[in-house]
Amino acid sequence: MIDYRAYLKEYDGPPVRIMEICGTHTAAISHNGIPSLLSPKIQLISGPGCPVCVTVTEYIDRLIELSLTKDTVVATFGDMIRVTGSRQSLQDVKADGAQVRMVYSPLDMLRLAQEEPSKTFVFAAVGFETTIAVYAALLDEAIRQNIRNIRLLTSLKTMPRVIDWVCTMQGGIDGFLAPGHVSVITGSDMYEPLAKKHGVPFAVAGFEGEQLLMALYALVRTIERGDGRVMNLYPSVVSAKGNETAQHMISKYFTVCDAAWRGMGVVPDSGMILRREFEGYDAGSQFLYSDHSHHPKCRCAKVITGAEKPNDCALFGTLCTPETPQGACMVSTEGSCFSYFVNRRKA
Amino acid sequence: MSHGSGGKATSDLISSIFAHYFDNPVLAKMEDAAVVPGAARLAMTTDSFVVTPLFFAGADIGKLAVCGTVNDLAMSGATPKYLTCGFILEEGADSGDIEKIAASMADTARECGVLIVAGDTKVIEGKGGIYINTAGVGFLPDDLPAVSSASCSKGDVILLSGTLGDHHAAILSARMNITNTIQSDCAPLHGMVAALLAKNIRIKAMRDVTRGGLATILHEFSVASRGCISIDEDRIPVSAQVQGLCGILGLDPLYMGNEGKMVAVVAAGDADAALAAMKSSPYGTNAAIIGSLTAGEPGTLVLSTKAGGTRMMTELYGEGLPRIC
Amino acid sequence: MCVAMPGKVLSVEGTIAIVDFSGNSIRAEAGLVSVHPGDYVLVHAGCILQVLSDEDAISLADLFAELEGL
Repeated sequence: MIDYRAYLKEYDGPPVRIMEICGTHTAAISHNGIPSLLSPKIQLISGPGCPVCVTVTEYIDRLIELSLTKDTVVATFGDMIRVTGSRQSLQDVKADGAQVRMVYSPLDMLRLAQEEPSKTFVFAAVGFETTIAVYAALLDEAIRQNIRNIRLLTSLKTMPRVIDWVCTMQGGIDGFLAPGHVSVITGSDMYEPLAKKHGVPFAVAGFEGEQLLMALYALVRTIERGDGRVMNLYPSVVSAKGNETAQHMISKYFTVCDAAWRGMGVVPDSGMILRREFEGYDAGSQFLYSDHSHHPKCRCAKVITGAEKPNDCALFGTLCTPETPQGACMVSTEGSCFSYFVNRRKA
Repeated sequence: MSHGSGGKATSDLISSIFAHYFDNPVLAKMEDAAVVPGAARLAMTTDSFVVTPLFFAGADIGKLAVCGTVNDLAMSGATPKYLTCGFILEEGADSGDIEKIAASMADTARECGVLIVAGDTKVIEGKGGIYINTAGVGFLPDDLPAVSSASCSKGDVILLSGTLGDHHAAILSARMNITNTIQSDCAPLHGMVAALLAKNIRIKAMRDVTRGGLATILHEFSVASRGCISIDEDRIPVSAQVQGLCGILGLDPLYMGNEGKMVAVVAAGDADAALAAMKSSPYGTNAAIIGSLTAGEPGTLVLSTKAGGTRMMTELYGEGLPRIC
Repeated sequence: MCVAMPGKVLSVEGTIAIVDFSGNSIRAEAGLVSVHPGDYVLVHAGCILQVLSDEDAISLADLFAELEGL
């Protein structure tokens, strides 16, 4: 077996810029101390794959409105609770009597809804293809069990269009670490058109230290040869075609729509929303597009797309820290700024 | 709302439950103040306990209150001696629960060799919640060397008394409907500290690993001592179950709270003896040497990861909410 | 954004599976992929996304041999 660790540490070719799109990859890279194992000529850039970070403030505002509505309970994953909308976060309004519950799984909603039939339970449905599959399964179960007092407020995003956006509008990325778990659902073939169009390689990677290093090795090698190809380094769960049952279930309940990404504006066809016939399960997800950054100097928009590093932002580490976050990149534990701050990353 | 307003109902509550379980000659006098023998130097502490649920795998709010107070005193090198205990009961608090909590506190106090010498009860409007406040007093031996994290220096060795995250994991599992056999590690550490002192270990710093986790404490030590602390992920004990829970919820055991674990920084020459002292305690079976003060940027905590890389760590930010996406 | 972890299926009843992760068991949705007791599965937010296959070792070795070869 090739000594990929030595190769990566000693690499002395032209500088390469590799983007990891997925927020969980950003966290895994920091967690494993990957930057310390790479030659300084291999630069890792964090991309827009942190659903909390790319959610616009109007979505949070709508969520807050719902949480303060009589007989309505908002259920959410952990991170969303502390993200600020145009003024407040869900955490802030709990003090005003807002009904907010943190759950591990959206499917917990089924039990909650059955236990309290007089209340409407709204899930803060953010996420990429991985989690969209879970929301589809939730709807399937809800319909089968005839549970009607649940809703989704969606801010669902998909990968291909946004990757295309980064390559087209920004460029400067030599290779992509493709999201491991999104690919479980979509299949690794999804990246082929992008690899061909932009002539950059994609490596689908897992989340363990070893898996990340192997994927980075494969990318640097492939970049060296100017080869725009897709490589699957997570074959235990990722196949070329993906999970087709999950894909069908997603298309059954959701349809493609335009989506607003913090810092990028509206990217056409980059999101998903509940189909018309399932409107009854929607909590008002359409056209939540506007976004208010708090501080005029907040560079989240640039950081999310990899145009700048957290350290490039004037507020980073001074006005903006995890205790006093100015933007979503610092609030979410998968945000680039948070990750860089708590790990004192310089690279 | 007749309990706690000072009348007969309150005194019935006090005498029937608290006086019974906490029974000792000082408390039995039922005076307004407890008069007790003292020492030249005292350690004092106070804390309040508001955990829910009241009863969880491995412990309850009462045991937590006694151990938490005892441990704060022990970490200063003091022998814990006396506790006070104030209860704030919301209307509707279950008297069966109150009794169980009092019994648990009495048992724990007995194990720790402390007396609960004064108490108070208030009843307020609410939905049945129970909150406990304690104050603790301990005696400091005259010849105790100063223990201060500022004195940690290069070469000193860092020890951890056992597995990380158990308490936090036990509480979280109940809230998130995840089934496991994780127990809170709630335990008194005065015996372990006494064992360290008895062996004349040169202790530079000691702390119990509570909210904020190991990383928060070690980062504080590195800043206070202007040193660089290096630790090895490989050597840090974490149970397989807690590791599994962390994987499901996306948590880091180095930032999770414990209630029965301590970290000690000792002179290198005493490291082995210190480890043996920790292991001599029933609460130290998984004690380990996890790192040391090394050359490096002052005021930093560096972790050598299992993947072979290094990563700098800071104190805990936020509440360590489980992340999923 | 996709915290997920492999666990072992202990039992299946309809579209719900009990999955174990080193002694932690959860109820997970099993409607997206066909599972059986004993299978190792990838679980994200309480939902099984895929069954783990043995693909790993062989295809990675091939890829690496190819990358090194040139």
